[in-house]
Amino acid sequence: MDNPTYLLEVKNLCRYFTSGRGKKKLTVKAVDDVSFGVKPAETFGLVGESGCGKTTLGRTVIRLYDPTSGQVIFNGREISGKMTNDLRRYLTENIAMIFQDPIESLNPRMTVEEIIGEGLKVRGVKDKDEIRRRVVEMLEKVGLNEEHATRYPHEFSGGQRQRIGIARALIVQPKMIIADEPVSALDVSIQAQVINLLNDLKSEFGLTILFIAHNLSVVKYFSDRIGVMYYGRLVEVARGDDLYAKPLHPYTRALLSAIPEPNPLVAKAKRRVDYDPERDHDYTHEKPEMVEVEPDHFVYCSPSEFARYREICKRVGKVGA
Amino acid sequence: MIIDRNNLPEDIRNLPESSFEIVGTEDIRDEAFRTEPVGFFKDAVSRLTKNKLSVISFWIIMLIIASSIIVPNCTGYTYSEQNVAFKNLPPKVPGLEKLGILDGTRVMTNRRKDSLNDPTQFPPGSVIEIVKEYSHSGVEMVDVKVDFYRMVGVPEGRYHWMGTDYLGRDLCTRLFLGARISLIIAFFSVVTNICIGIIYGACSGYYGGRVDMMLTHFAEILDGLPYIVVTILFMLLLGSGMVSIVLALTVTGWIGTSRLVRAQFYRFKGREYVLAARTLGVKDRALIFRHILPNAIGPIITRAMISIPGAIFSESFLAYIGLGIKPPNPSIGILLSDGQKVLLQYPYQTVFPAVLISLLMVSFNLFANGLRDALDPTQRGEV
Repeated sequence: MDNPTYLLEVKNLCRYFTSGRGKKKLTVKAVDDVSFGVKPAETFGLVGESGCGKTTLGRTVIRLYDPTSGQVIFNGREISGKMTNDLRRYLTENIAMIFQDPIESLNPRMTVEEIIGEGLKVRGVKDKDEIRRRVVEMLEKVGLNEEHATRYPHEFSGGQRQRIGIARALIVQPKMIIADEPVSALDVSIQAQVINLLNDLKSEFGLTILFIAHNLSVVKYFSDRIGVMYYGRLVEVARGDDLYAKPLHPYTRALLSAIPEPNPLVAKAKRRVDYDPERDHDYTHEKPEMVEVEPDHFVYCSPSEFARYREICKRVGKVGA
Repeated sequence: MIIDRNNLPEDIRNLPESSFEIVGTEDIRDEAFRTEPVGFFKDAVSRLTKNKLSVISFWIIMLIIASSIIVPNCTGYTYSEQNVAFKNLPPKVPGLEKLGILDGTRVMTNRRKDSLNDPTQFPPGSVIEIVKEYSHSGVEMVDVKVDFYRMVGVPEGRYHWMGTDYLGRDLCTRLFLGARISLIIAFFSVVTNICIGIIYGACSGYYGGRVDMMLTHFAEILDGLPYIVVTILFMLLLGSGMVSIVLALTVTGWIGTSRLVRAQFYRFKGREYVLAARTLGVKDRALIFRHILPNAIGPIITRAMISIPGAIFSESFLAYIGLGIKPPNPSIGILLSDGQKVLLQYPYQTVFPAVLISLLMVSFNLFANGLRDALDPTQRGEV
């Protein structure tokens, strides 16, 4: 998957959590040998069930967690190595993060202006008027206004708080944003509002987004390419429409079959696919690995599965053709 | 974007894509709030003032602090001015004396009746009334209520509001000066305890892991030292005085605070807003003092308020067992310890300091309780 056109490239990234010592030592492979790339100005969606390691992956990329092994390369520079002041500055200037919980992610003791302006302060902007001006500018971009700057987070609704979180991430003008389930804590009407806002800002700032979610419809609407994660591993990566038209990995099929159907007639007729790795794969003789089944469509599979997947691709043909 | 038309019912299956539009794309404009912004402390104060008990205790504390500043300077006596002729005078307060209370009288028991006529023992006008007459082994005895001030020849117009002690020193001056010294000791020991506790607990809670383990074990070892022994060592080293008492109260006093702060840091350091600040590149020190500490400040303030009466009591306790500050400096504990020796003859020498220290401790505790409720984030916005 070596490709110089990637803005963010993740190579064989692992993040294990351990507890206990000696015999009682327990290792949880939250992210296990994950590789993918995100192109500039692209939105890369990351889906998977709860606990599959999506959030850990996002946090490892931005170095909230230190990677156990593997590499993360951003814009040609490795960002997974030893943390130095220089690297921290490089990271914080280029990557920002939007968090899941709009209540938890804003400090209740700080005003909105302090919250949003913090990134500027860290970057050494001392002038209070300058900070104020840019905070207000940012607030207006996310649909809030100047008066809101002096308020405390608890006075805002969930959607408004999430927009404050977005403003905080964007004020430092990062190249890339890691959005960790930015809408899953909001109700549906507000989800659309926030997603559309993100979409507008994406084109306005030319942002690259790593979008982590478990809601498939949101990911489908928002992402150019989608990666599906299962138990710490990336099992399939493809362009959005490819993935929905010809899901190859059995887990992807299971996920897609779980999308609720608005039409009751169709919903009744629909068959729910379930996924059991013991039953669906036979990896006793062949070792699975990430392979490109067709251009821009990667699946984690063994050689025999690979042949079968090729067949399916040929049968379905090119999407949209 | 792909739209799977095959699943749709007949009537909308063939709608052209142009007849759909995406909702929610209109610009979001939120209105300004009409209410006043309410910060954390404003909110806490408004809730604190609604709690009558803590308001009353607050004013009692303020009154005691004010009198400990003012009273010793305007009684007209100094704390060390001795006058053995006027020792153990009962309390006498101008104004109240006319009502028959605190009028400088006391009942003297077991006096020979004939001695009442001896002007060297009972100067004229000093006997007010004979309370009881009886005979013992054939001798006429009386219990007599006397104007003690006149009896020992105190000049007219000289008042000791709380009486004098066994050296004739004015107790009122000594009590409030003692309160001042006790409060100062309590304040300094609490402030140092809180400062050390915050820094220690913050390091141990924020960094966690091995650092936490070592710091916690060290604190545990220190906590095992009996503080009386530590106090005696400080007294030997620095002599008795305020400094050694403050130090003695500090040596182990901060451990409780540091445990509290550590627990608070464990609670808050994984919060998303702390992570968010870290992704923005905020340094450790700013994370500790700007993001985590302000959220943990409620329990810390409450702890500080609660430990003030504890410190006052510890100081008094040390003074009581003779490890207090240097005489002739008073402190509540020293007054209690002196008063207790003559408790049956001159109960007022114990009563006044006892009332004052009880009042102080009860008020501080009640105020701290109110403060705890006011700073409790779960009660935010409630009346």
